[in-house]
Amino acid sequence: MIASLRQIALLTGKDLRIESRSRQTLGLVSVLGILIVAVLGLGLGAHNQVAAFGATAVLWVAYLFSGVLCFEKTMAVERNDGVLAALLMAPLDRGIIYLAKLLSNLLLMLAVAAIVTPVGILFFGFDLTAAPLTFAGVMSLSMLGFAAVGTLFAAVISSTRLQGGLLAMMVFPISLPLVIASTQMMLRTFRDGAGPGMTGMGILLAFDVIFLTVSWLVFEWVLEP
Amino acid sequence: MFNAGYWILTLLLTAAAVAMLAIYTPEEATMGPIQKIFYLHLPAAICTFLACLVCFVASIGYLTQRRNWWDDLAAASGRVAVQLCSIVLITGMIWGRSAWGQWWTWSPRLTFSLILWLLYVVYLMIRTSIESPQRRAVISAVYATIAFLDVPLVYLSTRLMVDIHPTSITLAMPMKLTLAVWFVPIVLLSAGLIMARFRLYQRQRALAPPARIEPGHNGFQWAAGEVA
Repeated sequence: MIASLRQIALLTGKDLRIESRSRQTLGLVSVLGILIVAVLGLGLGAHNQVAAFGATAVLWVAYLFSGVLCFEKTMAVERNDGVLAALLMAPLDRGIIYLAKLLSNLLLMLAVAAIVTPVGILFFGFDLTAAPLTFAGVMSLSMLGFAAVGTLFAAVISSTRLQGGLLAMMVFPISLPLVIASTQMMLRTFRDGAGPGMTGMGILLAFDVIFLTVSWLVFEWVLEP
Repeated sequence: MFNAGYWILTLLLTAAAVAMLAIYTPEEATMGPIQKIFYLHLPAAICTFLACLVCFVASIGYLTQRRNWWDDLAAASGRVAVQLCSIVLITGMIWGRSAWGQWWTWSPRLTFSLILWLLYVVYLMIRTSIESPQRRAVISAVYATIAFLDVPLVYLSTRLMVDIHPTSITLAMPMKLTLAVWFVPIVLLSAGLIMARFRLYQRQRALAPPARIEPGHNGFQWAAGEVA
């Protein structure tokens, strides 16, 4: 158990160290997120003071697209210099590789969210003061589920000659329950004044648990050099 | 088993079901004759779900056993699932237009059908996007497994949405009988389509040119039959 945690920490540390030195992924992905929020703001015209519960729509679009780019780039890092083959030859359970990749993706996505969400609040005037922790909690849980599925699919298709948009196509429909559940919970919290609701929370937790487990199990079969 | 006799039987049963619909089945009180599209809509919805289940089982089968016929079965059932789901969506929209005056609303049942359709359309897109047969099989099997596990979560999350148009109708005995009769040709049609596609893919695989061994990008020797 401790050995596994050390291995995960080692692999995640490697990814984050590469990221901190090359600074490729975070910058690119954040800029994409900001651009998407800007496009949505312009697209909605002069009346873009959307109420707090509209935040989920704008932010989800930004997170989904920038998230897909983030997952593609973190897997692409493994393609250089035969790193992935070396990783597969190491005496590591492949589930550990999955968890480490998931952790690095999640940390990067949370960093991107930390940049893009304030931009959204600024451009749209979202008023999240009624329940900021609920918003943060719901979006974090959703982000975990999204990263779980995205990491698996990014690894699965990373060895193919990538058709553009393939990862986006695969991840979006699977992530729709997250979008629906978080949107309904935000509506309940900000428009109706009730809490987020246990059903919604249950769905998010179920999604996270099911797909984390399944991805961790399936990763064994699908990662190839 | 799935030969000309099978299809003639299916055709005759379909004709009989349509005749029954025209002559025997009573009209529903509030919605009028267009409500009869329901007798196509519900069996098609059930068969969509069965096709998705077959696709799931076949995908798991491929991932565990790596036999090619599992992959062909998954491809065939995925395709038929999309065809049936398209029928469900279109008949649902026609019914909705006449019953409530709108082609589309974001009600739970409609949204669920739409997401199911999207999930399996993407499955078909994945299959056409990847050239290497082995990678295609693995990737689409993983996707189909995840997609099917996603279906109950989609169902539950759409249940959170407000149901503007409740769609439950009480069925009189003749209507229940018609529904039961309609299930038979639709199930036969779905199974027949899946098997026809399955055999087509098997024959295509048998006729495909033998694969060559080629060195990969990093100089690794790929397994026999793997191009890239």
